[in-house]
Amino acid sequence: MEKTLFEKYGGFSAISKIVLTFYDRMIDDELVGPFFDDVDLSRLIDHQNKFVTSLMGGPASFSDTHIERVHRNMTIEDRHLDRLKEIMAQTLSDFDVESEDIETILDGFEQRRAILVEKPNVN
Amino acid sequence: MSIEAINEQLLRAIGVGVALIDLEALSLQFRNDTFVEWFGDNDPDVKLTDLFPELDGQMLLAEMDVGGRFATETSFKLRRRKMTVAMEFNRTSDDGQKIAVLVCQNITRIKELESMIDSYSMMVERNTHEIKREKEQVEKLLLNMMPRAAYEEYKTFGVVSPRVFEPVSVLALDFVGFDEQLSRHEPGVIVSELNDVYSAFDRIGAQFGCQRIRTNGDSYVAVSGVPDPNQDHAISIANSGVRFLRYLAQRNESHPIQWAARIGVATGSVIGSVVGSQNYIYDVFGPAVSNALAYRASADAMSIASDGDFAKLVSGKFQHRPFTESESLGAIMEMPVAGQTAG
Repeated sequence: MEKTLFEKYGGFSAISKIVLTFYDRMIDDELVGPFFDDVDLSRLIDHQNKFVTSLMGGPASFSDTHIERVHRNMTIEDRHLDRLKEIMAQTLSDFDVESEDIETILDGFEQRRAILVEKPNVN
Repeated sequence: MSIEAINEQLLRAIGVGVALIDLEALSLQFRNDTFVEWFGDNDPDVKLTDLFPELDGQMLLAEMDVGGRFATETSFKLRRRKMTVAMEFNRTSDDGQKIAVLVCQNITRIKELESMIDSYSMMVERNTHEIKREKEQVEKLLLNMMPRAAYEEYKTFGVVSPRVFEPVSVLALDFVGFDEQLSRHEPGVIVSELNDVYSAFDRIGAQFGCQRIRTNGDSYVAVSGVPDPNQDHAISIANSGVRFLRYLAQRNESHPIQWAARIGVATGSVIGSVVGSQNYIYDVFGPAVSNALAYRASADAMSIASDGDFAKLVSGKFQHRPFTESESLGAIMEMPVAGQTAG
């Protein structure tokens, strides 16, 4: 059976380092950092962890409904998601993830652009 | 530069927050750079309890008097990051002045890692639960295909070695006019009917120590004495057969589709094994199975056909009435209770 990216890059041990670094860079970033001002730390880490793990084919699932719900009250614009993708790409690259695999992971974020930016379900 | 000056510079530059607390006034006499970075130094007269509103001043003073040591944690926001700091107060004396050294260690990363571990633990627990559920489903499926003892052997060794079981008894059942039933009813209806009837047979069989080996369309084969020996294998099979027919007769009274079964029973030896390397199936075959299938072909509708050998094994509990057209075969029937006539 073909290895998942999760297995290829060393499972939980490696992914946890990627997620923590990503988290550090996100909250320190001037553009996207303010989104995390009032977010509970353990929940944020848990969400990022599960999302990245699931994008890499690891043992976690994260439904789009859930993603939509936790971002519902944030005014996310295209430039914010673009910045997030830049930070993620840099982080993955720093952890020696191959560029082809970085594209696959970033595509997972891109696919959620509609539910994050346009918010079709906000009443 | 004097030693004192070097010491002070070191103290200021260290990555641990350090402050001197005047325990009389609960004021801060000295703060190093890290402490100032975390908690500010805007007000030189600020009280310790103003800086840390969650700190229990009374308890701190009490602990300072008793053991001279007090430890707690505090959380605050530094820019966007939620910082968690472990605080430790240690009583010291300076010319009779009541002073404590406050040392603050940054444990934010530890807290973040704890959150990470919690997150993984939950993921692992959920996955373990899912794997367990899937395993149970696979086990259930395999137990439908083979007896538990064979399944245990398969699980441990990856194979099930063929075994001869003797003596055992076998029951083979089919339905009279099955092909006509098939042409008359929708496939879904037939499958649902067979499901219902075979499930009832399985229940009845299990009650008497028999196990279904396979079904193939309208052919239902059960055995007693495999894999666990059963001294009363023939009686178990006869009991099941008689009750299969009784169940069908009762069912026919209230169901639109009528089923007439014929049953062949035989005793002897069989071989039990998992056959196939890709499509596993636990099969039982041998003389007893072949005979049961042959006798079934000779049985009348709603009757059980057996030879004399089987009949001998159940005599005293069941009656054996010879078929007129066959010298060797006869029908197995229940013993009449007092006042009834065998029919």
